[in-house]
Amino acid sequence: MFVGSTVTANELTEADPDRFAMVDKEGNDLGWYTVPSDLEILKEPNSDEIMYGKLLLNETKRMLPDNVGATMNCNSCHVAEGKANFGAPYLTTSHQYPKVMPRAGKMVDLTGRINGCFQRSMNGKPLHPESPEMKAMLAYMDWLSQSQPEGAKVDIINAPLVDESLVPDPVNGQLVYEAQCATCHGDQGEGLKDKRGNLIFPPLWGPESFNIGAGMARTYKAASFVKFNMPMAVSKEGAWGQGGVLTDQEAIDVSEYFTHLPRPDFEGKVNDWPNGKKPKDARY
Amino acid sequence: MKKIISWLVAIGVIGFLAAYAGSSFIMKSRKAPESEVAALKYDEALIKKGEYLARLSDCAACHSVPGDAEYAGGLAMQTPFGAIYSTNITPDAETGIGNYSLTEFTNAVKHGVRKDNAPLYPAMPYTSYTIMSDDDMQAMYAYFMEKVPAVKKANAPSTFPWVMSMRWPVAYWQFLFSPIRDFEPNPALTELENHGAYLVEGPGHCGACHTPRGIAYQEKALSNDSDLYLSGALIDGWRAKSLRGEVQGLKLWSDGDIVEFLKTGRTDKVIAFGAMTDVVEHSSQYWSERDLNATAAYLKQLTPAPNKILELPKKEDTTTDLLLSGKYKDPGAILYVEHCYTCHRADGEGVSRIFPALNLNSAVLANNAQSVIQVTLEGGKMPETPADRMAFTMPAFNHLSDDEVAIIINFIRNSWNNTSPEVSAEDVAEIRQFLRHKAPNITLN
Repeated sequence: MFVGSTVTANELTEADPDRFAMVDKEGNDLGWYTVPSDLEILKEPNSDEIMYGKLLLNETKRMLPDNVGATMNCNSCHVAEGKANFGAPYLTTSHQYPKVMPRAGKMVDLTGRINGCFQRSMNGKPLHPESPEMKAMLAYMDWLSQSQPEGAKVDIINAPLVDESLVPDPVNGQLVYEAQCATCHGDQGEGLKDKRGNLIFPPLWGPESFNIGAGMARTYKAASFVKFNMPMAVSKEGAWGQGGVLTDQEAIDVSEYFTHLPRPDFEGKVNDWPNGKKPKDARY
Repeated sequence: MKKIISWLVAIGVIGFLAAYAGSSFIMKSRKAPESEVAALKYDEALIKKGEYLARLSDCAACHSVPGDAEYAGGLAMQTPFGAIYSTNITPDAETGIGNYSLTEFTNAVKHGVRKDNAPLYPAMPYTSYTIMSDDDMQAMYAYFMEKVPAVKKANAPSTFPWVMSMRWPVAYWQFLFSPIRDFEPNPALTELENHGAYLVEGPGHCGACHTPRGIAYQEKALSNDSDLYLSGALIDGWRAKSLRGEVQGLKLWSDGDIVEFLKTGRTDKVIAFGAMTDVVEHSSQYWSERDLNATAAYLKQLTPAPNKILELPKKEDTTTDLLLSGKYKDPGAILYVEHCYTCHRADGEGVSRIFPALNLNSAVLANNAQSVIQVTLEGGKMPETPADRMAFTMPAFNHLSDDEVAIIINFIRNSWNNTSPEVSAEDVAEIRQFLRHKAPNITLN
């Protein structure tokens, strides 16, 4: 039809989804984990619940306004529906909880972890642990990791480290912000909404941003996210064309700049790191 | 019997020699005579004028490889017979045009005749440039010789098979399809529109991509004496849209939209991609306000192309609410939300000047979805201009299957207020194969 070549149906190219090597506790090869296409959801007996969970994670502010104080969605930070390596993926999350979190100083299950996000990153209120909304989000995360054998170690990195020995320079950070971030996140960090008032790009500081208790409010944690996932749409690689243009120093500078601008306080901060081990970029 | 064969061979040889001699005669007749030019003294004003004309004529887009030296050639151009490479037009004496006289330069640019009398391939738009003035040639020559840094980069031969690689038959192509002519203003148009006509027909050479070509690769019209002129074409795996007055052409574009698009590569709705990115980046962002306004005025008065629709079928947008509700099982909607939604949004409107709209975007609505398929598989970058702080990139989705890409494209082209013909997985496979076989550019590094 187009360029004069003839293509027969058997020459169609199949999908080539992301896949990651898996090993067991002893390091024995367990084959590949393949990230499932959303089309696979339809094959599940609870497909409606999984789809609902995915909708809530994609559009948290619009769907759960009573629980989300900030203008944020879960997937503002969990890149490409939580399917992107280095982009805080949910791909292995279900198998990682419950675990002991230093910040809480105790065992936290996934429901508790998600509710932590609601109170910190979303500057809002926790969901009822037994609510259909919470169960739907868990169902989506379970679906993502269901093909991983029990105890498998999958070669996925949620957030690669940046060089934490580097000293942040917020003055340079402001220049980086203006050049690389302000187009979408706004000159005043105010983010951007569409005609209906729904979130497009989240605010990075000010009253509608994440509060001081969020991991994203910490310089080096933010820098990892920024280096590997921001800006979006700057490369032909990755689901969002994301990341890979800033050096560690630039990512740290810009993160120091925007994280330390005014943002909501977090009441529960007094209970954090009860057993010490406070990271050096903790905000309180 | 032997005699007959001998005769046939003799006739064949004589015919070939006659054709070859005819070719040589054509080329000589196309050349302007070498004029005696006193030692050329070029002033700054002439060089500046030449630089503007070189930008206006977009020499850089074809004669440069992205990331390599400007004007040093090596850009691969795909044709059905193989790739040809643009040439080095820096003033390097050995590999560029340093030894060209002004007359030789004029003969190449306006008449398609190389210094050694060989015909240039029609990829060089001398068919359009022929209406430019000799004064313009002198200014451009001054710019190239005085201002452009000389770069040593040898020209590459085409990848054509032997018979196709013979240049002399191109003389007959030039004789038939590339008349040496002057611009003829249309008395029915305003002065501004006529100036636009000159820019579009001549230096802008818009028809090289936007006018359909015939069986011999000739543009079916070189000016608006046929409504096939600028009615949209396929080139290099891209669909160059119609610039005429129908709905998939420029009907939905205002004069202001056209000016803004050419100057900045973006409007609040559409963003240049594919080959048009190069045009904006190397050429139209530098055009003067008057040249931009003239171009828009001329294009907006073109009548609709034949057999094209003037109105889209009326269609209520039910897509936005469906996507916002999350209650869908349609594979198109599922894949759209997974791969496209973050940037192009539930309402298909994108984000002004950041991500292009898909709804009612004439590039998306084209009858022929080749550009949409190519940009989906390959991704694409916006032009960089001073108008915007950042130029964004669409990632490549070549990791999706042919089936999935077809499902997504059919969803996009038939959602919101859009109505367009369906594409098949085979259509996607065909473009994927075409892209796989594209010859790479030649770079110095």
